[in-house]
Amino acid sequence: MTSHSAPASVTIKDLHKSYGEVEVLKGIDINVSPGEVVCLIGPSGSGKSTLLRCVNLLETPNSGLIEVAGHSVTDPDVNIDKMRTNVGMVFQQFNLFSHLTVLENCTVAQIKVLKRSKAEAQKIALENLEKVGLADKAGRHPDQLSGGQQQRVAIARALSMDPQLMLFDEPTSALDPETVGDVLSIMRQLAAEGMTMIVVTHEMAFARDVADRVVFMDGGVVVEEGPAHEVIGNPQHQRTQLFLSRVLNPTAQ
Amino acid sequence: MALSPRQKQNYWRYSQYALLALIAIVLVIVADWGTLRDKVFNPDIIAHQFPGVITVALKNTLIYTALGFVVGLSLGVLLALMKISSIAPYRWISTLYIELFRGLPALLVFIAFGYGIPLAFGLRLNNYVTVMLALGMVSAAYIGEVLRAGLEAVPKGQYEAARSLGMGHSRAMMTVIIPQAFRIVLPPLTNEIILLTKDSSLVYLLGMSVAQYELTKFGREGISASGAGLTPLVVAGACYLIITVPLGLLARHFEKRAGARSRK
Repeated sequence: MTSHSAPASVTIKDLHKSYGEVEVLKGIDINVSPGEVVCLIGPSGSGKSTLLRCVNLLETPNSGLIEVAGHSVTDPDVNIDKMRTNVGMVFQQFNLFSHLTVLENCTVAQIKVLKRSKAEAQKIALENLEKVGLADKAGRHPDQLSGGQQQRVAIARALSMDPQLMLFDEPTSALDPETVGDVLSIMRQLAAEGMTMIVVTHEMAFARDVADRVVFMDGGVVVEEGPAHEVIGNPQHQRTQLFLSRVLNPTAQ
Repeated sequence: MALSPRQKQNYWRYSQYALLALIAIVLVIVADWGTLRDKVFNPDIIAHQFPGVITVALKNTLIYTALGFVVGLSLGVLLALMKISSIAPYRWISTLYIELFRGLPALLVFIAFGYGIPLAFGLRLNNYVTVMLALGMVSAAYIGEVLRAGLEAVPKGQYEAARSLGMGHSRAMMTVIIPQAFRIVLPPLTNEIILLTKDSSLVYLLGMSVAQYELTKFGREGISASGAGLTPLVVAGACYLIITVPLGLLARHFEKRAGARSRK
């Protein structure tokens, strides 16, 4: 319903990123097909969030290539603002605009960037708020909502731009446990509708059930990747096994 | 018999009340009420100040403050944006400006504008223009610093979210960052307006005509004219409070509202 634009493919080739002396990404190669859902998992500091933020150039890679829907993102002369309108981003801390209402959060970029009329923008925003179950909160301010509700608004805000690709950066890590499910079920629905999604997450159940593919990263490299049930159910690499056993059984010795 | 902690606390509290009451009583007894009434709160002279103190002096103080604030705010926004700019010379210029005008007494700046510019360029500026520039350029230094702090207090994620939605740098600043920064700086900004209101008294340095008198000058002239003590200045002082006290209340209101928001 929301995604009028065709889902995009993503190609990442030999991507390197350093902060000063510290190399965070040491040559990453990942391909995501249109409509595919890929979960990035791994210990903190493994570079998975940095990788995600490189895809819409919130971080500038040092070298390598990223293409979204066949268009190079890493080309120095790319119109990054135009490219970003096709890529929705959902942050760990929601980052809703605190001075705007829920509805305005979902319309402001449609009006100012996509130059849609106010009426059209509101119609699209309300459709997406309906989709995340928060149309009745359209007039509220973000600080009047719970964390889970804010994150659902953030998803509606991103969807209102009709993105071809959605990036999720630990979308449930800052949430109360009982609201995590609401956000995950919306993401699950989005995946079922055929959206291309790259998700950095610690929710292994979500990764196993929803992702087409899971990529395990550690120390700035892809250690292991494959179909979700294989990587999570039967990891081949020792580092993956260790990480998963710690995440799945945190109290085990 | 030993006192309980609560009793000790009460004794301590009541003895402080008693001390304050004692000081008030002494002041009332010692004060020369007759002279005070004649020289400071003389009802005839108070009556004589009206309506000029309102129609001329208060009005002019408000006009000078408003003129100064328009320039101060516009220039202050520019200075704040320059100070956080990625272009180094902008940052240098802004820092230099702020350090210079924040470091000089407003009095000196007024003299520089009132006498320095006519001497240097041979042009005599309209008094209102001079007031606007002198008051505005001094307050811009303070307002610029306040705004810069406000801009930096807006969480980085707000900017990233705006950029992620396809907004360019300027669009993100205008639509998302600056409006939020203004909310953050409303209380300190209100303080700047109060300071500006009081600094407008320096206008007297420019040699104003009677119709251009603001409150302080009006009060001082009132003293020379009546030759009867400080009463005109008391009236002028009360008029300043008419402006500044509501501003102070407004600032408190903003602070409370900001506090209520951030507690959530």
